[in-house]
Amino acid sequence: MSTRIVVDPITRIEGHLRIEADIENGKIKDAFSSGTMVRLLEEILKGRDPKDAWAFVGRVCGVCTSVHSLTSVRAVEDALDIVVPPNAEMVRNIMFCTQYMHDHVVHFYHLHAMDWVDVVNALKADPKKTSELAQSISHWPKSSPGYFSDIQTRIKKFVESGQLGIFANGYWGHPAYKLPPEVNLIGLAHYLEALEWQKEIVKIHAIFGGKNPHPNYLVGGMACAIGIDDVSGINAERLALVGQLLQDAKEFVEQVYVPDLMAIASFYKDWGAIGGGLGNYLVYGDLPTNGFRDMASFKFPAGAILNKDLGNIQEVDLRKDEEVQEFVTNSWYEYREGKTVGLHPWKGESKVNYNGPKPPFEHLDTAKEYSYLKTPRWNGHAMEVGPLARVLVGYARGREDFKAVVDKALTDLKVPVTALFSTLGRTAARGLESVLIAQWGLEFFDQLISNIKNGDTRMAEMSKFDPATWPAQALGVGYSEAPRGALAHWINIEDQKIANYQLVVPTTWNASPRDGKGQLSAYESALLNTPVADEKQPLEILRTVHSFDPCMACSVHLYDEEGKHISRISVVGGE
Amino acid sequence: MNRTSSNRILILGIGNYLMGDEGVGVHAARRLEAQNRFPGVEVLDGGTGGFHLLGCLEEYETIILVDATLDRHPPGTIRLIRPRFAQDFPKAMSTHDIGLKDMMGALQLLGKMPDIHLFVVSIENIQLQGVSLSPEIERVMPQLLEKIEHLASSLTSPAAQRMPQDLNPV
Repeated sequence: MSTRIVVDPITRIEGHLRIEADIENGKIKDAFSSGTMVRLLEEILKGRDPKDAWAFVGRVCGVCTSVHSLTSVRAVEDALDIVVPPNAEMVRNIMFCTQYMHDHVVHFYHLHAMDWVDVVNALKADPKKTSELAQSISHWPKSSPGYFSDIQTRIKKFVESGQLGIFANGYWGHPAYKLPPEVNLIGLAHYLEALEWQKEIVKIHAIFGGKNPHPNYLVGGMACAIGIDDVSGINAERLALVGQLLQDAKEFVEQVYVPDLMAIASFYKDWGAIGGGLGNYLVYGDLPTNGFRDMASFKFPAGAILNKDLGNIQEVDLRKDEEVQEFVTNSWYEYREGKTVGLHPWKGESKVNYNGPKPPFEHLDTAKEYSYLKTPRWNGHAMEVGPLARVLVGYARGREDFKAVVDKALTDLKVPVTALFSTLGRTAARGLESVLIAQWGLEFFDQLISNIKNGDTRMAEMSKFDPATWPAQALGVGYSEAPRGALAHWINIEDQKIANYQLVVPTTWNASPRDGKGQLSAYESALLNTPVADEKQPLEILRTVHSFDPCMACSVHLYDEEGKHISRISVVGGE
Repeated sequence: MNRTSSNRILILGIGNYLMGDEGVGVHAARRLEAQNRFPGVEVLDGGTGGFHLLGCLEEYETIILVDATLDRHPPGTIRLIRPRFAQDFPKAMSTHDIGLKDMMGALQLLGKMPDIHLFVVSIENIQLQGVSLSPEIERVMPQLLEKIEHLASSLTSPAAQRMPQDLNPV
């Protein structure tokens, strides 16, 4: 007999995410991932000026606020055959590196660490021992016994005040927490430091994008003028600040994030064999260094891996009708040609047909449609996207920078390369790519400065700004490697307006329902066989689902309709 | 917008602009931005900013927050709340509430909680898709803007006149 448990919501901004899992003999036997909120951005965009699309799509999510805008301008530039100037490419790359580092650090400390770090246990740590440990793994200056003791005092006060806030409802004391108190205290101290740090790095978005959140983009380039002596433009002072912030970010990633990640991982090596899932990985590629058309110049190379076969990287073409297709067999949508066909996004449709239970409901009828997410497939295969996919493709393609960070981590942890195909591998890959991104960000910055010094201040290519210069019909695809994984927008422009616009977002690849052939998607597959020690506290489910970085605050709160804290899960009886 | 260290009051509109009435805070911020009549008061369309807003929330002593809420009040009901802790935020705020509540929790943890005046506008349906407001909410917009402006003006005079004017754009 199995028991079905429900974790809802797991994520909040890009629509709610709900997991239902059947547990038998302490392990997950079957899992269902459901997006329970509809997102019909496609319909909002129809009939609008393609040049404005970035402003709308930037609002889809508050976490990846800029990546949708970037992907959108790339789609329009692709459709209209616009090549942006090198400076615009570098500024976009710098903003993207900023986004990655911000997102990955916030994910690690604020959305995921508490699945591994027991806050309450940290109060038992010996500050002196904590200090010795911290100094043995990093040169980060804030590591004295007094520093750690102050942190303990602060948190004790916080806990005693009854205002637990972000730490409310944790599964503190759960047997799956394995860290010694001193490691827990380091994790907690850096949780606080990362909160302070993250608000500095995002200033780069405000400098280049005019505002943050939701910075400005522009079809044809970037909407910021370079003028070394210009008080209102991107001047020498602002550029110097960008350089400093990138340098500080690199320091934080190398001296705080990665040492913590490795210290924590060393106590959870068993998670190197849990939560692997599909073993199929997909990367569109990103961070161009010689224009977006030269895919070989991408810092993140594109490619697909099937069945964990790192010896055989397949090429990816987002224009081919049969490669990327979306299915709605188990989704609350209908296609004109019925439930069984798959549609390439240029032909995509978004007509909702909800036939699920009437809310509030106890559980979904998973024998029928059960999600607002469509099911994307690549050549018919279910694929995982995200940092692990990117790191594996870079590694398998033999890129030296990827090999250096991956091999070092494997050696330090004394685990084989197969340990990457796991929950732990996913979480580690996010940190490892952050090391690369931190270096690349500075390279892009140096390139930008060097262009400017050589007299090139062009920031936008505006010859196609006037819609009269456009063809009557144009198709485009824009793609990016968003922090959570491969993201693409397909646009169909007719008579200077958007005729169709389809987004396939990373969380759709990972969190979608199974397809018509019964193939599970990434979350569902990764949850199979995961041990669950206590059905009322399914910490293990959160570890695996959070390792994918489902969009936004998957922390430890759940509110009912009255806004009260309720248990994160419900057990809805055996079947 | 350029923020300055001397600006101590921020009007911050929060919400998802793509989800109809859910975006009422953003609509309010945009309209106020277009007609900002109070020197020393900044207006920011915070969108679904989440963690991106933390730095900004810390920078001001006083924040007038505008957001949608789902409660049992009729759509268009405007209430002014004075939350001091994350858990004082109204029940079932709109779809981005967790991010904002977490921000408040984080500010509290860092000991940097600003003085918050929160205008909540009751809305009916968060699943609404589109960038315009429903007639019920559109009808109360002038009233909402007036209430916000009235509060901003009472907060700026006369104490705020003492603020130094050194500009330090980021």
